[in-house]
Amino acid sequence: MSKHGNRTILVCCGPGCLSNHSMDVYEELKARISQAKIKAEVKTEVKATGCHGLCEKGPLVRIEPDDIFYTGVKVSDVPEIVEKTLLNHQVVEKLLYHEPSVGRKVISPKQTRFYKKQMKLALRNVGEIDPSSIEDYIHRGGYKALGRVLSELSPDEVITEIEKSGLRGRGGAGFPTGWKWRQCARMQYYPKYVICNGDEGDPGAFMDRCIMEGDPHSVIEGMVIGAYAVGSHEGFIYIRDEYFLAIRNMSHAIEQARDKGFLGKNILGSNFDFDVQIVRGGGAFVCGESTALMASIEGKVGEPRAKYIRSVERGLWGKPTVLNNVETWANVPVIMDRGAEWFSSIGTENSKGTKVFSLVGKVQNTGLIEVPMGMTLREIIFDIGGGIAGGRKFKAVQTGGPSGGCIPESLIDLPVDFDSLNNAGSMMGSGGMIVMDDRTCMVDVARFYLTFLSEESCGKCVPCREGIRRMLEILNEICEGRGQPDDLDTLAELGEMLKEASLCGLGKSAPNPVLTTLRYFKDEYLAHVNEKTCPAGVCKNLTVYYIDESQCKGCGLCQKNCPSHAVEGQRGQPFAIDETKCIKCGSCMDVCRFGAVRIRGRDKSWK
Amino acid sequence: MELKDFSYARTILEQYPPERRFLLAILQDIQKHYNYIPRPILEMLRDYLDVPLSKLYSVATFYKALSLKPKGRYVIKVCDGTACHLKSSQSIIDEIKKVLKIVPGSTTGDGKFSLETVNCLGSCAVSPVMVINDRFYGRVTPSRVREILEEYGRLENEQTWK
Amino acid sequence: MEIIIDGKKCEAQYGEYLLDIARKNGIHIPTLCHSDALPGQATCRLCIVEVVEGSRRRVVTSCVFPVTREVEVFTNSEKIRRMRKNIIRLLSARAPKNEFIQKLREEYGLLQETRFAVDEKENCILCGLCVRACEEMGIFAISTVNRGIEKKVSTPFDEASDVCIGCGACAFVCPTRAINIMDENGVRHLWNKEFQLVKCQKCGEYFTTREHQEYMKQKFGEDNNYTLCEKCRKKAAGEKMAECYRI
Repeated sequence: MSKHGNRTILVCCGPGCLSNHSMDVYEELKARISQAKIKAEVKTEVKATGCHGLCEKGPLVRIEPDDIFYTGVKVSDVPEIVEKTLLNHQVVEKLLYHEPSVGRKVISPKQTRFYKKQMKLALRNVGEIDPSSIEDYIHRGGYKALGRVLSELSPDEVITEIEKSGLRGRGGAGFPTGWKWRQCARMQYYPKYVICNGDEGDPGAFMDRCIMEGDPHSVIEGMVIGAYAVGSHEGFIYIRDEYFLAIRNMSHAIEQARDKGFLGKNILGSNFDFDVQIVRGGGAFVCGESTALMASIEGKVGEPRAKYIRSVERGLWGKPTVLNNVETWANVPVIMDRGAEWFSSIGTENSKGTKVFSLVGKVQNTGLIEVPMGMTLREIIFDIGGGIAGGRKFKAVQTGGPSGGCIPESLIDLPVDFDSLNNAGSMMGSGGMIVMDDRTCMVDVARFYLTFLSEESCGKCVPCREGIRRMLEILNEICEGRGQPDDLDTLAELGEMLKEASLCGLGKSAPNPVLTTLRYFKDEYLAHVNEKTCPAGVCKNLTVYYIDESQCKGCGLCQKNCPSHAVEGQRGQPFAIDETKCIKCGSCMDVCRFGAVRIRGRDKSWK
Repeated sequence: MELKDFSYARTILEQYPPERRFLLAILQDIQKHYNYIPRPILEMLRDYLDVPLSKLYSVATFYKALSLKPKGRYVIKVCDGTACHLKSSQSIIDEIKKVLKIVPGSTTGDGKFSLETVNCLGSCAVSPVMVINDRFYGRVTPSRVREILEEYGRLENEQTWK
Repeated sequence: MEIIIDGKKCEAQYGEYLLDIARKNGIHIPTLCHSDALPGQATCRLCIVEVVEGSRRRVVTSCVFPVTREVEVFTNSEKIRRMRKNIIRLLSARAPKNEFIQKLREEYGLLQETRFAVDEKENCILCGLCVRACEEMGIFAISTVNRGIEKKVSTPFDEASDVCIGCGACAFVCPTRAINIMDENGVRHLWNKEFQLVKCQKCGEYFTTREHQEYMKQKFGEDNNYTLCEKCRKKAAGEKMAECYRI
């Protein structure tokens, strides 16, 4: 363990840890350290950083250069950390991470499977630096690429480099970034604009938020490089208003960058001018769509327009505009710094580099991860994610948010890249990855996304507005036990039409959650429609819980956990559920270790 | 409803040049200050930006962050994003409905609490999540709901329904 | 340049919209949200067609699709007909009793909608033409309100608008006659507001509202005969012209 030099304590203040009160841990550490008399030669600095990734075990604290990784740190643990680790170079055993693959506690994050299999490019500084410090960013090589671009490369050379890297947009559809820039650079009318789309609205996704909060300068640097390449002098960062910390950190970073001469007039003495401002989103998922986002920046209702004339030609205020999402911009400085060749050596043939995901749902290690393109779903969910929470059975994984689809267990070895996901009927999307287990009803999942979309569709075109409304109507009826035999055909018919006839990407991808669940989980739909049963026991109208006497060991766990006192019987004897009292919450089923709690359909004759 | 003084709105307006592009930003500032967009201010904005009232009304009803009705002093946002939904955020919403006797999208009679559901707050790792005026509560269970709400003072209907 | 629509060679200008080219060549493409006087709305999606460029085949909205290359177009392929049928089904679930929608339904061989919960009084399909027409008039009395499945067209706060002049352009462009406009005893009722109608100085028929007349006078000057109805104004202009020739 290092006894000399500086020591840095990195306290994760990402969204997950913050909601577990990591800011209090940070304050307490600062206070205690200034009280404790740590030897003068060991300068100890506490930093509140962006997301470390392993949100499940937060709040997370890392101590460098000792390479100690603490999880689940509470304010009350701080005195022990100071006393043992900082003053006496010992680890606090109880705060170490238990690595299931080796069956013991480990000290370094590098010893965990969660971190070992990841590769951080877009997240290279997130969790490593204090996002409010431009010095931290520069210290880790930040703004070096910009310096080189402005002094050594022509705009055309920059674009060529991005093209060669094979970078594709990380916001959803995977459009080649270099091609987009080239089209815009070719336009001979001005002004031109560059935009960063930080309106991350997918339910179950927080990648862009973590980058903007944890490493705002990487986005700014990427944008300056992009602006130089296409010949723009004005940029906008559109951030969801709910992300107040991202807005604060980004605003602060912009001011610092102006002070240091990375933004503004005559950047780094190159004669190139560029500045950027923040626009707060108004709470509309559709504004993630590029033309709707531009309308919103203009102060209008966020309705998309037909894109037969592309934004690179006529975008914001009818001027040539390049729009990329947060993660794409954050990748740009790395590519310019380390070269297109290096970048394109990572990933698969048509999907280069890495992708950030928020891994959530019924998985052990929920969190923020970044992996090389082409890694299989199995590796992501079972190695990095540690498998399904509570030892249950994996059922499906949803990617791409409301625009994506559900991928079943049979495709678990699918490599994660743009084309493979598309072929499976889903899409990369911006990077939400939601794991589902056998207690997830796929019809309910489809209904959930359509409910979301029915509120978030702008309502401009008929297929999207009326189509989503009617598909949702059918799904509601199916979940409530009023499904009709023709319903599945109607859903498929309407879905196929929406895919092609809708005005924008939101409507075109809106049926995906329905179409993929219909494709891979048709039996589950049929059970709802024909047998009036919800196999996962989620749709309350269709579910009756009962206890299989032959399996029940009489342990009483179900009775203890039932909130409505519906479980009757004595310990040691088989229990029974009083249907009239049961509120169908499923707690009994979740806790039973013998599989004795069963579900049957509403119709009592059904077996 | 108490009569409000709308003079501060002028201060908000004048922080921005009178251009259409600042409409959303102005509306958000007004929403933050007054907890809603009062009609007289919408009319003030029409004159300041020279944008027709119908357009302002269209924008104010389009974006979810804006509300034309006053919201409570404490706005409870329950996340019903995918991760929270899978971890039964609905039971949290049901419990709040029971305790405060309001439905999502409405405000308690004393103007104290508003209940909203939101589509993912990005804190999926500690789902289900709820936020009360920017304070986060992770891994909420129905049984914790009452305790959390009581942090904001005695609940209005306490005696009547116990 | 030349494009092929349903096997027929058609002359096209660069940037010309596909729908316009088809119509010029007597090829019928159904529309609801299209008005010759206003730019394409692209909201009803009935005018979808298939465009083939090399090996690429895609569905586009012909009212806003500008032709920039020599392409082949199919306006009535099996795929398009099937998609249109589904769009009409959705429209007829929204406005089940509307005569224009019923006509389309018959044309595409669809039965009366039974699966969905319907509102029989609804006639509006939210195409947006009325809002656009009001904007073109320079009035801005109505707009879309809310979003998604809650979307509707209305005046601010659903109240009588102080800027509406009762010109009726909104009702005039409406493809489904969904806007309630009623002239009765010299009074026009529109958007929760009442307007005094004025009579044509020549033929004596009511022809527009006082507010509209005042607005036109202010905008285009007194001498444009705004005291006459359109028919009489044209007649007067014709007579004036004839007089000029006689001299």
